[in-house]
Amino acid sequence: MFSGIRVSAFLAWKSIQRGSRGTFALTIMIIALIFVNLVFLPSIISGVVVTFETQSIDFDLGNLVVEPREGSRYIDGVDGLQRRLEQIPGITGTSPRIAAGVTFSYRGRSAASTLYGITPEDERSVTRIADYMTAGEFLSGGDTDAIVIGATLAGTEGEEAGGLPSLEGVGVGDSIEVAYPNGLARTYRVKGIFETQSFGVDTAAFVTAREMSGVLGLDDQASMILVKTAVNGREEEYKTEILSYGVQEDVWTFREKSGGFVDQAIQSFNIINAISTLVSLIIAIVVVFIVIFINTVNRRRQIGILKAIGIDQQIIINSYVLQVLFITAVGALVGIVLNAGVSAYLTAYPLVFPGGPVYPDVEASAILRSIASLFAVSVVAGYVPAWRIAREDILTAIRG
Amino acid sequence: MIVAENLTRVYTMGNVEVRALAGVSLKVAKGEFVGIMGASGSGKSTLLHILGLLDRPTSGSVTIDGTDVLGLSDHRRTLFRLNRLGYVFQDYALIGELTALENVYLTPLVRGTPKDEYLERSADILRRVGLGDRMDHRQSELSGGEQQRVAIARALVNSPSILLADEPCANLDSQTSKSILDLFARLNEELDQTIVMVSHEDWHKEYFCRVVTLRDGLIEEVTECRKGA
Ligand SMILES: Nc1ncnc2c1ncn2[C@@H]1O[C@H](COP(=O)(O)OP(=O)(O)O)[C@@H](O)[C@H]1O
Ligand SMILES: [Mg+2]
Repeated sequence: MFSGIRVSAFLAWKSIQRGSRGTFALTIMIIALIFVNLVFLPSIISGVVVTFETQSIDFDLGNLVVEPREGSRYIDGVDGLQRRLEQIPGITGTSPRIAAGVTFSYRGRSAASTLYGITPEDERSVTRIADYMTAGEFLSGGDTDAIVIGATLAGTEGEEAGGLPSLEGVGVGDSIEVAYPNGLARTYRVKGIFETQSFGVDTAAFVTAREMSGVLGLDDQASMILVKTAVNGREEEYKTEILSYGVQEDVWTFREKSGGFVDQAIQSFNIINAISTLVSLIIAIVVVFIVIFINTVNRRRQIGILKAIGIDQQIIINSYVLQVLFITAVGALVGIVLNAGVSAYLTAYPLVFPGGPVYPDVEASAILRSIASLFAVSVVAGYVPAWRIAREDILTAIRG
Repeated sequence: MIVAENLTRVYTMGNVEVRALAGVSLKVAKGEFVGIMGASGSGKSTLLHILGLLDRPTSGSVTIDGTDVLGLSDHRRTLFRLNRLGYVFQDYALIGELTALENVYLTPLVRGTPKDEYLERSADILRRVGLGDRMDHRQSELSGGEQQRVAIARALVNSPSILLADEPCANLDSQTSKSILDLFARLNEELDQTIVMVSHEDWHKEYFCRVVTLRDGLIEEVTECRKGA
């Protein structure tokens, strides 16, 4: 048995060594491209999810959101609740926000969007918006007449933002008017402009909670408290933890808050991915089958001779299977290199999605799965034609 | 001992039936050197294919050393060819992807012979057929006669108990032919190898113990040639 494999390997190697270089290279290239195709789409899908989730956590929602219980507009006793939350191990920051739908006006242009009242120090402990200022500065605690606004809302002179709220060209130092839902209006000086690439965030604006509480007549109240945890991905555990600390408000993970949007998107992506995988694998089957088929047909006489001198047909079949394994292995290797190239390129020049830049996220499991399916498919596609020719009558085969 | 009884082999091509063998019975004793002669198309190769377990007769039986070789499975027949037979094909049947040396050591490799041994034995037999300086050449780089000698070396490398050779000297000049036949004769004597060889050269007869002449798929004549065999 062992010497059988040795003979198969010997024959396979001689055949690769002395067979057509061109065919060999072409086959490897096709396998490599199929491999890239198998890995690429899942890496982009996974990249979209990663982008969406980091954007959500970093700029929009934090890891968890505490909201007023059913029937209330505001969370009361925010200070106390904040202190209780921050006692929970693993919670690294909390930021109460007051939210209001307002109308911004500037030089006769107006836009309806969300204004948040925040405590700058708290906000910095949860979101990274303050790190993404493209002009001016973020708010500081004592500001009362200052506002920071998103890049989309600030807009560009003479450009409409395609349906998104835009003031078409506000700069730092400009004054804009804000009409609150209770009928009051205030004029604020733009202190800074931020750009996070999350369109929900870049169309919003921030003033201090102190200023907004004054306008809306709130006291120690907030529309929500964003919660930041030490690690991402364990939001469910923290939620249970928070509830077990006797918090009476509603607690949501950022995933729940995004309303299953990500889950739905992943599902649709997965269907696309399944179809693309299937097509790739079918192409792999056909290519390997044709290559081995032509190979064996061209070697009919040789296969007949091998059998005539006493080499078992299984050894002959195995030599083709080994060739296929070798071709697939080299193909997958080239594929990994190609894929690394594509990934490096797309990391340097990322695809831009509405949720932010998407970097290919190549998961080891996706690579392993692709390699495994390529091998499975190739072995079958190589075995069948080899088996068909190898069981042919000896003299018929030798006559060719 | 090879015992073939009433062998027929009928090829059907469309409506035409060709009786390549029409009822051949033959016994070859252990250590005998038998020549098969006859006109082209008389059925010599067909008979040798059947004795060499490469083909099955339409009817009849073949027993080799008491084994009914027609009753064996394909797998057993393959092993039988590997372990007991050496076969020189009329058209050499070399593996074009392999060098002369590789062609020769392929079957010892399959038999699990240690590498040193099969390399040495293969090189040795190639030298004995006069190809010491052609070992690393591939089929396309060898003349017809050289290819034929590689085929002979391949058939001999495992010192098979039975050697079947289909016109092994067809492409050799008379001097090389003679050296090959001398080699056969020596192996026949030293190793008590049974040899069945197809030939159409009259002078080969002096090497044979017996000559079986075929004509239209039947044995026409059997002549004892050499005394004391
Ligand atoms: N595969 C085949 N199909 C049809 N006829 C064949 C085949 N092989 C041999 N024959 C015929 O059988 C006869 C004997 O052939 P063969 O044994 O090769 O003769 P020899 O070796 O004596 O020249 C010939 O008439 C030949 O044409
Ligand atoms: Mg013949």
